[in-house]
Amino acid sequence: MTPQKEHAALAADFNKDEPRVDWHDQTLWWVRRKRDVAASKVPEWERLRDTASAIKENVLSQLSEYLSQFEAAATRNGITVHWAADAAEHNAIVHSILQRHGIDRMVKSKSMLTEECHLNEYLHEKGIEVIDTDLGERVVQLAGEPPSHIVLPCIHKKKEEIGEIFHEHLGTPAGNADPQFLTHAARLHLREKFLTRRVALTGVNFAIAETGEFVVCTNEGNADMGAHLADVHIACMGIEKLIPQRRHLGVFLRLLTRSATGQPITTYSSHFRRPRQGQEMHIVLVDNGRSAHLGRADFRNSLKCIRCAACFNTCPVYRRSGGHSYHTAVAGPIGSILSPNFDMKKNADLPFASTLCGSCSNVCPVKIDIHQQLYKWRQVIVQEGYAPAAKRAAMRTMTWVLSKPGVYHTAGRTGRWFMLHVPFMVNNGLNAWYRQREMPEPPKQSFGEWYKKHGHEQQG
Amino acid sequence: MNSRDKILATVKKHQPPLSQLPELPGVSGVRHLPEPRDGATPPGSPGRVGVPGAAPQATEDCTSVFISALEAIGGAVYIVPGFGEIADILRERYPDARRIVSGLPGPAGVAEHPEAIGDPHTLADVDLAVLPAHFGVAENGACWITEQQMLARALPFIAQHLALVFPRSSIVPDMHAAYDRIAALDAAAPYGFSTFIAGPSRTADIEQSLVLGAHGPASLTVFLVDEGLSEAGFF
Repeated sequence: MTPQKEHAALAADFNKDEPRVDWHDQTLWWVRRKRDVAASKVPEWERLRDTASAIKENVLSQLSEYLSQFEAAATRNGITVHWAADAAEHNAIVHSILQRHGIDRMVKSKSMLTEECHLNEYLHEKGIEVIDTDLGERVVQLAGEPPSHIVLPCIHKKKEEIGEIFHEHLGTPAGNADPQFLTHAARLHLREKFLTRRVALTGVNFAIAETGEFVVCTNEGNADMGAHLADVHIACMGIEKLIPQRRHLGVFLRLLTRSATGQPITTYSSHFRRPRQGQEMHIVLVDNGRSAHLGRADFRNSLKCIRCAACFNTCPVYRRSGGHSYHTAVAGPIGSILSPNFDMKKNADLPFASTLCGSCSNVCPVKIDIHQQLYKWRQVIVQEGYAPAAKRAAMRTMTWVLSKPGVYHTAGRTGRWFMLHVPFMVNNGLNAWYRQREMPEPPKQSFGEWYKKHGHEQQG
Repeated sequence: MNSRDKILATVKKHQPPLSQLPELPGVSGVRHLPEPRDGATPPGSPGRVGVPGAAPQATEDCTSVFISALEAIGGAVYIVPGFGEIADILRERYPDARRIVSGLPGPAGVAEHPEAIGDPHTLADVDLAVLPAHFGVAENGACWITEQQMLARALPFIAQHLALVFPRSSIVPDMHAAYDRIAALDAAAPYGFSTFIAGPSRTADIEQSLVLGAHGPASLTVFLVDEGLSEAGFF
């Protein structure tokens, strides 16, 4: 197996096509601005964010009680509740349900958890066909790629590329890249799947401890089309998706889609409480590292995330490096603080994929201190010895220079001399910082040198 | 130890000290829209009465905010005095609809009005579904419909077009009021499945170009029935 490329290297690949990077950047910024417009129309927006964050704070502090309460209520409602300690157990549970019904094909609506668990690949190996029914997810599935964004899975694809993929797989006319036409082609293609598949898997946006019901939000209606036509509905959720009471949805549903796309609410916010007559309904509660994550005081509140992706859309690094450069199911700033919990070594590069500008924290509807956690993860990763190699070498040098005033002053003079007289020694391919930058004019002297000469003039 | 007990034990061990639930906006009885000072709307404050997103108070405001919210997301709204008008408007809006299924007795003659539906797959060719709903939400144009009103859970999603009918007086200002209302409705008749529907099915997955009619209905028409009919006991 080839080693996983780090974020910087993958971002460099993405940056080879500059017009595309600009387009990607502008498209996501447009979504971010729609979020701003939607948020500004709600006078109590900040109060909603505080309230949502406080509800989730309560959830984390009583999660074991809420999980038990939810299990009991859901069971009373006629739903079968499963518990999965990790991805492998989650996948095995889903497979066993399919096996019991002798089923080898199913439809699936958007679920980042199943991406995290690599369910599709697992089931494929078992000979089971999974059709992703969210349009964007279907596009990337046909292209053989993972989603690059949790809300807008194929945001990295141009319509011409999608036209090409549909031409190859769905038989649409070559060269037709009209979004209306392509969406209609997908509608017909997927309708046939909805009508013929007997098992539907969905994700879960919110599960309610009080009532044992769960809520699934979509704009397309694909989760509902799948679930209401299938004999078996399997819903998979991370254990952090619980909220205490149904009335708390009033807060979260007001925030979720305004933060995500600038819509006031998703087209469908479906509340599943009981299987329909003759239907089987399953919920798989998945831990996969979350219970350990809860024990890390500095990082636990990232479990408040409601997966709106506002932090993606606002992030200057995400917008210019693309979702695939994060090499995880959840990309962007939130992915960069969630992923090291799962695997610190494999994801050691991600907390460094940020300018720490703080925009992510400012738009987060549940007020996760994302940029502060990015900063804290960097320290943990360096202390644990997982820092990327180039960073380790640079930091060792930096420590040596900064700990010796004499060396520091000499280094500063030397640096300025090099920048002034032989700039190519600094601004070259080996220095990543200068890849997309011009050299600044170096000052003739340092502040230290200036102060030594002029400091006395300011006195008296 | 099985996975359930292992997960619960680790969660219990790691969960932080108890943090109390906050007060919810709206449930204290004081609505969260501040009173305009000196009877005027303060300058530079977006989202006042009449703008989707802000929470309006009176029925008149609720209706106008609901209409602009729903129209902004691609829905069409009609205020009608009775069922006769609904049938006329539907005939005009959907002249090519062959199979129309209705959950209301009103548009009979133009529609099937079954008691129940067995296999939801038989709904695959429904052009238009006409269903009652409980209420609408002014701030976002969402309509609350429970399983009991749907004939089949699949119907509001599988139909090519959807029309929802509810009393104009039932519109609530915001989602907090909506969940107060849902609690009362659910106490009287618990639902097994229920949903908010806000506009036609949509996607913008291809280069952020908005397309209506992703998998569900390509259009949504909402009929707000004026007081008379609800007083007559139809809702």
